[in-house]
Amino acid sequence: MSAPGAAGRSRVGIVVVSHSRALAEAAVGLAAEMVPGQAVRVAVAAGLDETTFGTDAVRIAAAVEEVDDGDGVVVLLDVGSALLSAEMALEMVADDVRERVVLSPAPLVEGLLVATVTAAGGADRAEVAAEARAALLAKESHLGSAPATAPVTAPAGEPGPAADGFLTGSFVVANAHGLHARPAARLVAEVRRLDADVTVRDLTTGTGPVPAGSLSRVATLGALRGHEVEVAARGPAAREAVDRVLALAARSFDDDDDDEAPGAVEEQPGPAGTAPSPGPLPASPGIAVGPAVHLPAVPVPVDERPAGPPEHEERRLADALAAVRRDVARARDRAGPGQAGVFAAHLLLLDDAELTGAARAGTGAGAPAAGAWARAVADLEATWAALPDPYLRARAADVRAVGDQVLRALAGEAPEPGVDVDGVLVADDLTPARAGALDPRRVAGVALAGGSPTSHAAILVRALGIPAVVAAGAGLLDVADGTPLVVDGTEGRVLVDPPAAVVAEYRARRRELADRHARDTAEAAREALTRDGRRVTVSANVGSVADARAAAATGADGVGLLRTEVLFLDRDRPPTAEEQEQEYRAVLDALAGRPVAIRTLDVGGDKPLRYWPQPAETDPFLGVRGVRLSLTRPDLLRTQLAAVCRAARHGPVRLLVPMVTVVEEVLAVRRLLAEAAAPGPVPAGLQVGVMVEVPAVALDVEAFLPHVDVLSIGTNDLTQYTLAAARGHPALAALADPLHPAVLRLVGETASRAAGRAAVSVCGEVAADPAAVPVLVGLGVRELSVAPSAVAGVKAAVRQLDTGACAELARRCLAATGAAEVRALLRAAAPDA
Amino acid sequence: MEQVSADDLLAWIREFARLVAENRDALTELDAAIGDGDHGANMHRGTTAVLAAVDGAAPAAPGALVKKVGTTLVSTVGGASGPLYGTFFLRLGTALGDAATASPADVAAALRAGVEGVVARGRAEAGDKTMVDALLPAVTACEEALAAGRTWAEALAAAAEAAAAGRDATTPMVARKGRASYLGERSAGHPDPGATSAALLLAAAAGTLAGGSR
Repeated sequence: MSAPGAAGRSRVGIVVVSHSRALAEAAVGLAAEMVPGQAVRVAVAAGLDETTFGTDAVRIAAAVEEVDDGDGVVVLLDVGSALLSAEMALEMVADDVRERVVLSPAPLVEGLLVATVTAAGGADRAEVAAEARAALLAKESHLGSAPATAPVTAPAGEPGPAADGFLTGSFVVANAHGLHARPAARLVAEVRRLDADVTVRDLTTGTGPVPAGSLSRVATLGALRGHEVEVAARGPAAREAVDRVLALAARSFDDDDDDEAPGAVEEQPGPAGTAPSPGPLPASPGIAVGPAVHLPAVPVPVDERPAGPPEHEERRLADALAAVRRDVARARDRAGPGQAGVFAAHLLLLDDAELTGAARAGTGAGAPAAGAWARAVADLEATWAALPDPYLRARAADVRAVGDQVLRALAGEAPEPGVDVDGVLVADDLTPARAGALDPRRVAGVALAGGSPTSHAAILVRALGIPAVVAAGAGLLDVADGTPLVVDGTEGRVLVDPPAAVVAEYRARRRELADRHARDTAEAAREALTRDGRRVTVSANVGSVADARAAAATGADGVGLLRTEVLFLDRDRPPTAEEQEQEYRAVLDALAGRPVAIRTLDVGGDKPLRYWPQPAETDPFLGVRGVRLSLTRPDLLRTQLAAVCRAARHGPVRLLVPMVTVVEEVLAVRRLLAEAAAPGPVPAGLQVGVMVEVPAVALDVEAFLPHVDVLSIGTNDLTQYTLAAARGHPALAALADPLHPAVLRLVGETASRAAGRAAVSVCGEVAADPAAVPVLVGLGVRELSVAPSAVAGVKAAVRQLDTGACAELARRCLAATGAAEVRALLRAAAPDA
Repeated sequence: MEQVSADDLLAWIREFARLVAENRDALTELDAAIGDGDHGANMHRGTTAVLAAVDGAAPAAPGALVKKVGTTLVSTVGGASGPLYGTFFLRLGTALGDAATASPADVAAALRAGVEGVVARGRAEAGDKTMVDALLPAVTACEEALAAGRTWAEALAAAAEAAAAGRDATTPMVARKGRASYLGERSAGHPDPGATSAALLLAAAAGTLAGGSR
């Protein structure tokens, strides 16, 4: 996981601060044995002389300067005055040196051994510090009851028994930003309601185990994308806990990292932690022009009341936590469902046993509630801020935001006021609560001195469509109120009081962007015809009524794929036919007469249902899922089919059956459909279709054509099964390319054989890629179904096409020797290439 | 108007060193009861080094003088009192600046800056059973006396009294900072050694800073 900079391996220095020189020198000797023959820069600042115990800030400062080689210094300390002296030493060294010094809270001997080994390996200072900090865990787990010594007997993904009554399993983190606050929050929520003692451990780094029920501990595990993580559980629900965590991991913790900003921090050049101000960075696209308006930070009140009896202080803290919980829930409701994850993480922090436990320990020891809480928050914030991964580090801001809200409540102050400004908002950073409350009609743009493009504030500002830049540097805060500002949130630029000609230029570009957006939106509602007059329908993939409304608003020609899983997940009994009918009809209503394709329940071992326990699967994607699973519970499938029949009497409906492999499955579903429609006939307008996901269906499409009205090609699964590359597998992203000629051949085979006999639609992600649209149309596909936000762009792409030219392009793509060559052909054929 | 000179400050430092030497064993005994038993020895080592450093080579400006005291304490005390007293004197020196003399109000403001430095360095609050419990009321008493139009000598006397009262008030407290906090409830019943030495610092000021020793 080391990320050495472009200049080569880091040379991190180490300073050992101790009261005793003998102790420090012996510890250094012990550590040196770990890395024989390797030069690590270590200096000792210990004792006042050979025999007098004490620490000396001046000597520490000199030691830091001595070992700093430009890559920074990690300082390991013993107790008491060592901390005070080291902090004082930091005030004595040069500013640039101070920025590269990390004071490590690691235990001295353990931390020094690990830091020496890590530094000798060329790791950067953040990594050395993080490894040192984790140094105590090996000892803790050896002496404690934690399961770290349990051998991992099961292969990845498969739960198995281990020592101490723990069941274990492991998974590989697929999320782009690792197991950060939001996925961690999902993990915590999943295990908390189970009667089991669950821990997780990063096998790749050896960090952990930590309790899976604590957000602060799970998020600070620092598990990055590609790390293997072990989950261990014991107790009555141990099996269920391991299964659930593995299933959650298989679907990337339900967290879609795609909504993160372009140019996220981790994509910046340079190793983690070496670029204190990489900005300004683009955080929300678009251009804003207007007067600067400062948003002063609301000072956090310090409640100076002396402590009452501990029970009283604990009560006050509990009341304040409850009040903030209500405030956060309200902010979440205001921000809407898409941004709920941001606030869910805040709610979990307010409930976090480690954090509230640390604060309660403080009040129990006689500290006032505010002081105890502030210290607990500061400790956790410091832990997060010291993490090696910049994305995870940015989450420290969430801890602070939540912490400040509670301090406000303790001081009896109202929650942070909303933002009431007109112009370009200038601030150091924004809390999510304030970011979510911005009024896009009044706030033209946002320019932050600090922050990060992946911060929750940035996500919320993007969702509001307000152009924004972050990390613009402290100089921005010196700009006077009313100074003309230009914020270019696409390029990541802030111009302070630019010449009139420049302002005019940006105003023109802003108008142009607005015009284009308006034009695309207006055009999206019209049907998409190719230049030679062929219609290609562009529908939307949706999972809820809200999605369906959004799809209708963006001009979708219908719903090409309605996922019904949300109706079935997270409840104690299956939805009734009435509930389902209501949902399906609401989607039909939202589309106002345009067709809706309803896919029957598509779950497997990766999405367990409480009322329908399923055995854990070695590989859920090659197991009992989709129609295979549905046919094991005909009662549930019949209920869903009854709801589909009822909805079909109110509007144009298609039925899609997922994960079909053989014709018998289609015939079985048709029989159940007839039973479900009874006493009447199956509605005449109801079209029956199958998802083409298994290559066997595409290769044997003739066998299916007599029994289906629709073939809906799910290119994501078709690609995974054709190329034997699991979706979202971090190491196989390049291999799992839906534009591989083998996948295209299956699409073409399906489309050409079905021509005139069944409708063929493509509903995978590839359909949303404007560059891929020509080849799909060329292969004979006339129906595409994409995310609502992609509808307008795909329609615009269709209007550029000539079906004859597309067919010729498709022929050449099928003859290509790989996905890369296909992409090259598509680039060459693009109209503006 | 009264002015405080570098000589006054030097007299203060010398008197503090004398009081520390005189109370060395008492401080150590206090610390042995609730800490690691080195406060008297540490402070004595520090103030002895300070006397050596200023002997014959004392800077002529008040600010530079107390800064020298601060850096010397940082390097010679060894325990937590080193960075804490060191920070106190360094902040004091910064606040006094380069002026040749300082008014009582300047010195009071500098004392406040010094105490704030100690609070920030040790992250201790009033009531944590630390030197802050003696220093904070002392500075406040000094400021209030000056604001009420009392003389500089009266203000310093008030500060010394407040520091002594603050020291006494630490006796029933349960320590929440430093090594004494390891003892929990058992730390109650003894005055805090740091508050005791801080009271000596203010007592020394009362006898010297208003020209009393000349």
